[in-house]
Amino acid sequence: MRFLLATAAKDLVRRRRDPLALLLWAGIPLAIGGLIFLAFGGDDAGPSGRLLVVDQDNTVLSGLLSGVYQQGPLAEIIEVEAVDLETGRDRIDSGEASGLLIIPDGFGTAVLNSEPFEISLVRNPAQRIVPGIIEESLSLVVESTFYVQRLFDEPLDIIAAVQPVGANIVPDSTVASISVAFNQIVDRAQPYLFPPVIELETKTTGEDEDGLDFARLFFPSMLFMALLFMAQGLSEDIWRERSHGTLRRVIVTPQRVAMFLAGKLLAGAMLMLIVIGLGLVVGRWVFGIDLQGLPIALVWATIAGMMLLAMMVLVQLFASSERAGNILTGAAIFPLAMLGGSFFPFEVMPDWLASVGRYTPNGWALAKLNRVFAGDLAALDLVRAIGFVTLIIVALTWLAMRRIRGRFAHS
Amino acid sequence: MIEVAQLRKEYGDLVAVDDISFTAETGAIFGLLGPNGAGKTTTIGCISGLLEPTAGTVRVRGHDVVRESAQAKASLGVVPQEIALYGDLSAGENVRFWGQAYGLRGAKLRARITDVLEITGLLDRAGDRVDQFSGGMKRRLNFACGIIHEPQVLLLDEPTVGVDPQSRVRLLDLVREQANQGVCVLYTTHYMEEAQSICDRLAIIDHGHVIAQGSLAELQAQMGERDLVRVSGSFDESELHRAFGHDADVEIVTVDDAQATLSVRKASSKLPTLLAALTGAGSEVRDITVSQPSLESLFIKLTGKELRE
Repeated sequence: MRFLLATAAKDLVRRRRDPLALLLWAGIPLAIGGLIFLAFGGDDAGPSGRLLVVDQDNTVLSGLLSGVYQQGPLAEIIEVEAVDLETGRDRIDSGEASGLLIIPDGFGTAVLNSEPFEISLVRNPAQRIVPGIIEESLSLVVESTFYVQRLFDEPLDIIAAVQPVGANIVPDSTVASISVAFNQIVDRAQPYLFPPVIELETKTTGEDEDGLDFARLFFPSMLFMALLFMAQGLSEDIWRERSHGTLRRVIVTPQRVAMFLAGKLLAGAMLMLIVIGLGLVVGRWVFGIDLQGLPIALVWATIAGMMLLAMMVLVQLFASSERAGNILTGAAIFPLAMLGGSFFPFEVMPDWLASVGRYTPNGWALAKLNRVFAGDLAALDLVRAIGFVTLIIVALTWLAMRRIRGRFAHS
Repeated sequence: MIEVAQLRKEYGDLVAVDDISFTAETGAIFGLLGPNGAGKTTTIGCISGLLEPTAGTVRVRGHDVVRESAQAKASLGVVPQEIALYGDLSAGENVRFWGQAYGLRGAKLRARITDVLEITGLLDRAGDRVDQFSGGMKRRLNFACGIIHEPQVLLLDEPTVGVDPQSRVRLLDLVREQANQGVCVLYTTHYMEEAQSICDRLAIIDHGHVIAQGSLAELQAQMGERDLVRVSGSFDESELHRAFGHDADVEIVTVDDAQATLSVRKASSKLPTLLAALTGAGSEVRDITVSQPSLESLFIKLTGKELRE
């Protein structure tokens, strides 16, 4: 056991003197993950655009029409800017806006008199989403206006017939008659409107189920990508031990080769613990990811990383040269990362592919990590999984020891 | 002591060593002398437990290296031919690790680290990284790592390869010191001068076989008082055999078109006669060299080739 610890300490000191490798192992997955995150879901601001409005009518109704875009969710997407006709045309021609709405003079009067009228919407052909939203919204307003005209034709007639006394002053009697007319319509409609025949219930479900929380989705994948890169990089050291002659020197000491290998795995596990620990801190404080069971996740990811390292070491031992070993392990980690959910989370993969990926060692371990984060991995399941992984590590180490003693050290 | 009996090691169809037997005594240096590829490193590998012999037995201080591997290895110190060190660790860290590999710890380990670095002249560089060391310093550190645990049996596999003359002298002194302290030393080399200067007993090995062994005096006696005469020029082999076939003082070791090697009793006094005989046998002599009896000349006599070939 002392030799195991001495070997681990020796490797940790060596790694401390090569911090660039550690940074690369942790940095590359973070960079790749960050890019994927940004490409697929990092920008949650959504589409946005500008609507230029030429209001030549300048009535309350024309103001209401353009005001539709300044209410509720539409206001978050569309910025309305009042312009004159010439400026509006110039700017839409130069692509500076998503749309140009022209409300000619006489719009308000036409609406009150239920007369046909034409308003113009010019769409920016270079854009698709925002002009589409503007057009759809305008269609809804026009349609709604038609029903309002049908329903409230009597008070609207009154409003249209009003001849103000003085500047913009409506007689009290007219206002009263309009109010009465509106109330009568509402009273007549009330039996049909209340209670509503269709009840709409809005329920917001967890973001996990929607698959929309990209940071939460990609974060465990990035951690496992880092583990895969580390496992590959650390496994190369067995070739350095061989080429420097230190592996043969270990064999001629009274110590067991298995202890030496276990020490190297332990050192690798310590480095993984540090990198994953830092990753969890970054995830929690920088990305604001709300993860449960961080200590358990740290332990599980480290043990899983140790298993991946033992696998990679065994692959290196069966390679004919250091170069072949690097090619083989490199060829192994990319399919493992792709299939095992480390490049793309299982949630965004086709179901059949995700189900295959969960059978890869890293995919299986990643699925368990996701369950730890979600807080739905029972303690017994976790203990069983740790026991299973430990058995795998022991078996891989035994095979590696056999290989070293049998041929690797001497050839 | 080391007892090797009828050692044989095969790699598939290749027989690396065959029927090698010798005994290396406590407090003495036993040399394995032979050209590259003769089987020296394979022999060391079998003694150290790195390789499992195909046949034969190896005992270190009475322990069979296969059946009682741990006991045999515990008393063994190995200085491999390659510089088996961690270049990214300091000298002190390297010695510490190899000391731990032999079970040293605490005050004993610290004391031994200081001791071995001091005797190898590296104490003032203990904190420096090994990859900044010269070749000679690395060789000395390689040696220090092999003796950190005060082994009773020390195996040195060509420890002076690629070392500058000063470091070589220092290393040879260190080896001699170990033997003087009662350590059984097995030393392999292909440098004849080194073997002659340091070894108490020797085995000359070629193509996996021991072709001669004994003390330096015993081996030199096999040459008798004969000198080795190497002649360059052009020769007719049959004429040469005819000329010297009945001369008891001259023995033809090797001959080809361009070179002849002769074993001649008291050659320096017979050079004029020898030259006349060579010319009479139709030879054209361009260069002639006379060597006193040595391991080199014995090796040439036994194998027909030079040690460094």
